[in-house]
This record gives sequence, structure tokens and C-alpha cells, in this order.
Amino acid sequence: MAEQRRYRPLASTRQLEKTMTRYYALTRYHRLWGRPLRRPLAWVTSGAPVELLLAFNIHPVYPENYGAICGTRKVSAKLCKVAEAAGYSQDLCSYARSHIGSIMRPDLAPMGGLPRPDLLVACNNICGTVLKWYEALARIFNVPLLVLDTPYLPGEVTGHAVGYVHEQLKEMAADLEKITGRRFDARGLEKRLLLSKETISLWREIREFCRAEPSPLNAPDLFIHMAPIVVLRGTKQSLKYYRQLRDEVKHRVDQGLGAVENEKIRLVWDNIAIWYRLFAFFKDFSQRGACFVTDTYSGGWAVELSPGDPLESLASTYTEIFLNRSLEFRARQMIDLIKDFNAHGFVMHSNRSCKPYSLVQEVIRRQVMRETGVPGLMVEADMADSRVFANEPVKNRVQAFIETLEA
Amino acid sequence: MSKPVSKFYLGVDIGSLTTKVVMVDEESRIIARATGRTGFSGREVASRLAASLLIELQLSEKDVAATVATGYGRVTFPADREMSEITCQARGIYQLFNKAETVIDIGGQDSKVIKVLPGGKVSDFTMNDKCAAGTGRFLEVMAGALEVDVKELGGLAEEASDSCSISSICTVFAESEVISHIAAGRTKPDIVAGVCNSVAARVAALTARTGLAPDVVFTGGVARNKGVVNALAAQLGTRLLIPDEPEITAALGAALFARDIAPKNKPCV
Ligand code: SF4
Repeated sequence: MAEQRRYRPLASTRQLEKTMTRYYALTRYHRLWGRPLRRPLAWVTSGAPVELLLAFNIHPVYPENYGAICGTRKVSAKLCKVAEAAGYSQDLCSYARSHIGSIMRPDLAPMGGLPRPDLLVACNNICGTVLKWYEALARIFNVPLLVLDTPYLPGEVTGHAVGYVHEQLKEMAADLEKITGRRFDARGLEKRLLLSKETISLWREIREFCRAEPSPLNAPDLFIHMAPIVVLRGTKQSLKYYRQLRDEVKHRVDQGLGAVENEKIRLVWDNIAIWYRLFAFFKDFSQRGACFVTDTYSGGWAVELSPGDPLESLASTYTEIFLNRSLEFRARQMIDLIKDFNAHGFVMHSNRSCKPYSLVQEVIRRQVMRETGVPGLMVEADMADSRVFANEPVKNRVQAFIETLEA
Repeated sequence: MSKPVSKFYLGVDIGSLTTKVVMVDEESRIIARATGRTGFSGREVASRLAASLLIELQLSEKDVAATVATGYGRVTFPADREMSEITCQARGIYQLFNKAETVIDIGGQDSKVIKVLPGGKVSDFTMNDKCAAGTGRFLEVMAGALEVDVKELGGLAEEASDSCSISSICTVFAESEVISHIAAGRTKPDIVAGVCNSVAARVAALTARTGLAPDVVFTGGVARNKGVVNALAAQLGTRLLIPDEPEITAALGAALFARDIAPKNKPCV
């Protein structure tokens, strides 16, 4: 057996906890301050143009992030069962099932479930699932649902696609004026975009530091520390948080400190984390000196905003999200990451829940292996529903893969 | 003070259905092997089998310089090292067929395709999804439904005149398909041929992922089943090389790794 290796903790984790606790406390007690301050609460998809909502003083809440919390706390399987008993298919995304389950059985749900929404905003740039999921929510809560339809991009983004989304954003702004009773504030939106831009560039910078050998961060760090850029995108709190994290990561690089002691193997991760086994899963790697130096998932929040006037910028930024793009684009992205981060291999999580992310992986895997010459492993699991995870077969594959890399 | 080092190496493969042990000598030759049903405690079965090898060879434990364990029960066995059976399989096959580039292995609950580089290193591998379709377990369940011994399946398949189609990949549903074929009065050989085709189709699909480069070696207990061998060869359109003892090749690889890791001719104190 390989000897135990110590995993280096980040001091910023405390600040992260504070930031997230504050966000969820505000969310939880929204009923006390939302109405007096005329700040409605919206449930939004992770790829929704949140800066526009923030410009209307809306408090955004992310059921997908909540799904990840359910996964980390190992209650997803229970909540999924509740949704399944109500007739939702076992093939439906486990974030959707966990969330719907949490609405039906708040007693089983972390934080007693999310507080009721005043409106719903869904954008199909990440998947088609969110449309039906949010339609179900709109029926349950009888609140308005705003949908942003972003056409799939088989190649580069086109003016036509941007124009189409731009028009919808204008309509959305008009709808939000009615819902919130506030006027659309272009200056306010610009401010929000600026905050997003700065936060994104910090997150990019942090990720770029991981090109260093040894890498200052491992995938579980990235997955945990991405939370603020997901739920607090476009706010001062996230900007403040990533400044602190950037300083700590930079310090590690300056000192030559790696996340994994004795880093020998550098890997790239593809797909959403396996939340209910976050540390256990990666420990099998870190124990043998293998570090995940970058990934495609948390990298989704490191993409710079497109130029142009605010609404136009939003239109192309949110249409160009990687899950909305071709297989060639995704393969190229992996190849570049492997080269840029000097990786020896990659691991793809074939995530039963997330079809747009997972269906094309096998083709990408072969293409990336052909072009880079490094091996790629496929692991079958689910991001939140632990019933799908078969520990022994996974461990077996992981061990064989590491042996291949060590040989 | 120095004394002569022992020159035997043990490989132990504790699989989900069967446990295999192989002893090799300094020249990497197999000098003894044994297999048994894994049952409840693979570790105990493996220890018993290893002990039986020692008796057969009139050796004592001291003569075994190193042991490597592989297979699902690998961590339970007190070996010098444990390794995945993918790495061991590639090594074992390379020893027997040094031109092999593809290894297809159908074990109890896994089927896998391994791409092997010259020297026996693994370059890529894929395994079945975590379900029993296309594995030895699948065949066992079907044999149970047909009330025949698994060992008879190969011979029966060869007698088929018009093979049935088994379309479900789920073991439980496929079993009910078999039962409905029985009820419809189809012959056992035709049903068995259908079952073998179904396993072959699953494994052929796996092979498509890694690609197929000759020579192709087929290992694992299922490689003794002629029905699956013929169906797979036909579906892949290639010749399949089969070791004389296809179930012990991963244990052989483990034994060879044991030989690698054992201290070499160093005086023991
Ligand atoms: S299917 Fe994938 S992209 Fe869509 S909500 Fe679920 S995890 Fe997110």
C-alpha cells in the first residue's frame, strides 16, 4: 500500500465558509428583508444572465448549487427517491430530482430546503433539462418563468445567434421591469458586469497558477472554492473572496508548495465533481502523488465576458458557454488544457445525470488521446445520486490507470 | 551471514467468481497453478490454494520470494504488493503471446478490452458499464434459466441451427427473454447461441472504443466457451488467440510482477 500523504488545506477555506454561510443565511431569511426592500428572490439556472437580474436588485438563488450541497451532504439519494416516488424519472438529472425532492420533503433537505421563489429564470445554454425542470417549478409555485433560449453552436458564434439572444434579453429586461417595479438601469448593469469581469479574471489567474509544478491546487480545491463565483457572480463579496484566495495561491507558488505532497502525476478532470465522494475519490489519486491540476467544469466560470454594449455582451457570453458548443470545441479545449498544464493524462467522469456533458465524452477521449498521446480514463458515476456509484469497479479502474501512468 | 535466496514467485488473483493462484520460477515458467470458487472469503480460498501449491511442489513458505495479489479481493490478501488485474492481465498475456496488441478478457463481473504496448505495458483499456451484461455472471444466470451447466454452453451453441435473438442487455430482462423462448418451444442450442451472441455483441461494442489491433487474445473463463469465441470472432471479423488456460493469465501476470519486485540475489541476513 502507498503510504498516507497529507493533503494541504487552504487557509482561505474559513473565509469561503463565512462567505457562503452569509449568502445562505441571507437567502434563508429573505422573507424578512426581501419584501420591504423590494428585492424579489429568483431561482436561476447556473448559466442564466445573472448580471441582468442583479441590475434589478433581484436576489438570485441556484438550485444547481443546492443540488451540489445535497450531494456533498450525502442526502441526494434520499431526496431523489422522493421525486421518483412522485413520478419523476430516474433518468432525470439528479440536481433536478434532489431539488424537487427537497420541495416535497423539506424535513429531509439541507437548510430545510430553499426559500420560495418570486420568479424563475432558466437559460438552456447548459442543457434542455432545465426547461422542463423550471416549468415544473413554475407549476408548483405558480410564479412567472422567464426563459432565455440560446441556440446551440455547431461552430463559432454567429451574429444571427447573438442577435436572437439579444432580442430576448431586451424582452427579459422589460418583463423584469414589470415584475420588480423598477426601471432598467443600464449603468447598474455595467457595474455588475465590471464586478463579474474582475472576479472572472481573478478566478482565471488562480487557475493559471496551477500550471506551476507542483500545482498549488488539486481538483477538490477548485470544486469547493468555485462556489462563490457560481452563486455570487457579479457581487463585491465574490471579488473580495477571490482576491484573498489569489494571494494565498500565489504564495504557495512562490514557496513551491504543492496541493498534493510529492506531486508526480499531473491530470486533467472533465465533468462535474462526484460530490458525495469528493475527498474519498481524489484520495486514491493524491495518495499516489497524482494531482488534478485543472478541469473543464470549474473552468466554465473562468471565461471572459464578451465585448460590446452590456446586453450584447451578455448575449454572446451566455451563448458561448462550453456546454452549448460542438464536440470539436470541447476536444480542443481538453487538448489545450493538457498541453498548457503539462498533464500526463486525464480522467473523464461519465456523469449519468448530465447528458450534454457526458454523451460525447467517449469520442472526445479518443480524439484527445490520439492528438496528445496521453492516456484518458473514463469513470462512470453520477454527480449527486450515490446509488449510481459502484465503488469497487471505480477503484479498480483508477488503480489500473495510475499503474499505467507509473509504468 | 548469507544464505541462498528462494526462487519462486506467487501470483494470486481473487476474482468475483473464481480465485486463481499461479507459481512461477526464476525463468518465469509456470510450475504450478490452482483455481477455486471465490465464495464468501476469497482470502481464505486463496490461502488454501497457495498452501496446496506448496505441498504439490514440496516447498515451504520461505521458498516464495514475493507475492503479488490482484482481482477484486486483492486488498484482503496479505501480499507484498497488490496491483489491478488490468496491469497484470497485460503482463501475463505478453508473456504468452508477445505479439498481442489487444486483450479481451471476460471475467465474472467484468469484461474488459486492454490495448497492450510492446513489452506488456497498458496503453488504454475500457471496461463494461457497471452491469453484468457481457460477463461470466450473465452466462451463469442464463445457464441457470436453461438448467444446463455453464461448461455445456459452448457445445450446445455449436449445435444451433437458427439462433434466437436476445435483445435486452439487462441480465434480469434477458433471463425472462430466455424463459419466453423456452416457452415458445425453441431448442436449447438455439437459445444458447442467442445468449452467446448477446455477450459477444456487448464485448464487440467495448472493443470498438479502444480499437482492435492484431494479435487479439481472448482470456478469462468465458474464453473456454466456444459459442462466445465463435460469435465474437465473427462479430469482430478477426482471429482470436486463446491461452491454454485462459482463466489464470492475470494470476500469471501477478506472479511475474512478484518476480520483478523480489529482492534479487541479495544476501538475506
Ligand atoms: S443536466 Fe447537466 S447541465 Fe443540466 S442541470 Fe443537470 S447537471 Fe446541470
